[in-house]
Amino acid sequence: MKLFLSALSLIFCAAQACAQDQDSPPPIISAAKHATDGHVWGALIFATNDASQLTGAKEEAHSDLPNLHQRLAKVFPFKHFEILGQHRQDIFREYESWVVPSRDLFMKIDSKGPADKDGVNMHLQVWHKHQVLVKSDAVLRKDSPLFIGGPPWKEGRLIFVLFLERR
Amino acid sequence: MKHPSEEHDLIRWIDGEMNEDERVTFEARLKQDPALATEVQKMSALSASLRAHMPAEMRVPHADYFNTQIEVRITQMALDEARAKQSASGWSAVLQLLSKPWFALAGATALAVVGFLLLNPEIGVASESMILSSYTPNTRVQARTYHDAGADATVLMLDGLDAVPADRKIAGINIQRTEMEPELASTTMFDGQGTAVLMISHDALGNPMISPR
Amino acid sequence: MPASASTDPGEVSDLDLVKRSQAGDTRAFDVLVTRYRGRIYAMTYHLIQNETEAWDLAQEAFIKAWRALPTFKHDAGFYTWLYRIAHNVSYDWLRKKRIQGDGEFDDERTEHRVAVGAEATPKGDLAPDTALRNAELGQRIQEAIAKLSPEHRQVIVLREVEGLAYEEIAALIPCSLGTVMSRLFYARKKLQEQLHDVYETSL
Repeated sequence: MKLFLSALSLIFCAAQACAQDQDSPPPIISAAKHATDGHVWGALIFATNDASQLTGAKEEAHSDLPNLHQRLAKVFPFKHFEILGQHRQDIFREYESWVVPSRDLFMKIDSKGPADKDGVNMHLQVWHKHQVLVKSDAVLRKDSPLFIGGPPWKEGRLIFVLFLERR
Repeated sequence: MKHPSEEHDLIRWIDGEMNEDERVTFEARLKQDPALATEVQKMSALSASLRAHMPAEMRVPHADYFNTQIEVRITQMALDEARAKQSASGWSAVLQLLSKPWFALAGATALAVVGFLLLNPEIGVASESMILSSYTPNTRVQARTYHDAGADATVLMLDGLDAVPADRKIAGINIQRTEMEPELASTTMFDGQGTAVLMISHDALGNPMISPR
Repeated sequence: MPASASTDPGEVSDLDLVKRSQAGDTRAFDVLVTRYRGRIYAMTYHLIQNETEAWDLAQEAFIKAWRALPTFKHDAGFYTWLYRIAHNVSYDWLRKKRIQGDGEFDDERTEHRVAVGAEATPKGDLAPDTALRNAELGQRIQEAIAKLSPEHRQVIVLREVEGLAYEEIAALIPCSLGTVMSRLFYARKKLQEQLHDVYETSL
């Protein structure tokens, strides 16, 4: 909490400095531009056959990822797919990157550098709260999403989708 | 506070790092100084417990996978190097690598990676995402990976995971931008409106910690 | 320095396996991994105090060793050389963690308050539990080690687990002999302070 508050105060100070349009030193946070190896979109999806279990989340799929629900249905035997949360994230070259579409299920990415065909080599860890569910070495390529079948929830299943953006 | 040399004498005696003369002198002192003797006794007891409870050799969890993954990574490094050479000298570098006798004897997983790359018409340049290796700390969980042509997606299926309790509310969030602060080892995440939603950092054991809770 | 594992008669020697590995034989290297993984993992585990990270770092050490094999000179023992790599990989990780962390190592804040020789730790309310079971004590020791700073944890592991002489520790870190002794002294004081209820009732 202390860290969170200190970060928030930094952001607040930065915003104030901008608002006053002074020649003050650059704000700490926005000063740091870190090298990246790409950008990902991560989403947490709930799959179920029972429409009454849907949470009512209204998140939409990434525009570069057409027919996501139909594609998920080819892999996971469910009728309904609901995007609970989503996260667009830079893959930092020298630092860990987190993809957190929910506080329950999230992912850590360590870039291992570019791969051929516009891919990125990476080490992935899928976390459920304080437990790591899986660690993988992977190559992520554009237009080729990764579907991770996660834990069961209610009568359905939680799914993590990771997608390397074209930009 | 004791003088540093006294501290050093104390631990040198415990660790058997004194020569004979030093040892005799120190032991004479111990006889005359009960407080020092107690101090030494306590510290020796601690040392003995540490040695008893910190084995120099431990069973490696998933030991076979430990070895296999090392082999996979070594194989990958070799292929990367060969590919780099290939761009200069054509295919012979890769073929030369694969013709080495030891390579044919490499572990099954390593071979699977090589096999996958070779079967692909353009070696190692499949245009889809790939899972190269996986490790699930929970031994009841199995990780399967394959490419689903119908879905045009790479799948990593985790079977055997414990269910998330049905009464647990899973709320999604929408993060559009993050700011990373290396010195704090933390990342702050913002939604589409630029509002800070949460921050992720690490606890003392290196596990992720999301604030505010 | 830690010696190599004793090999059974008829077992291939480290030297042979290293030579084959240097020629690119991954199978020979695999035998070396199997031979030393338990010791390397124990070292990274005691230093890191986290199973998953220790597992990764032990693996990283073997991969680094593979890459560095062309530079390995046969005058040093393979295990000593490997151990040094694993130690450096783990210690670098610990140091980075401290740079990133927020005062997670308790003894960095309290080291200077430990009064040597003083009965600094009043007995708590806990009833003396002379029958504290081994497993419980092991757990307590682990927790206490986890609270040490990287420097203190490092000397404890090198001395108590690996049994290195002071000079060997000084050469590995590297630092002066005096620093090794001071760190060992304060690391033990710190552990003693944390485990006082165990030792004060057992004496």
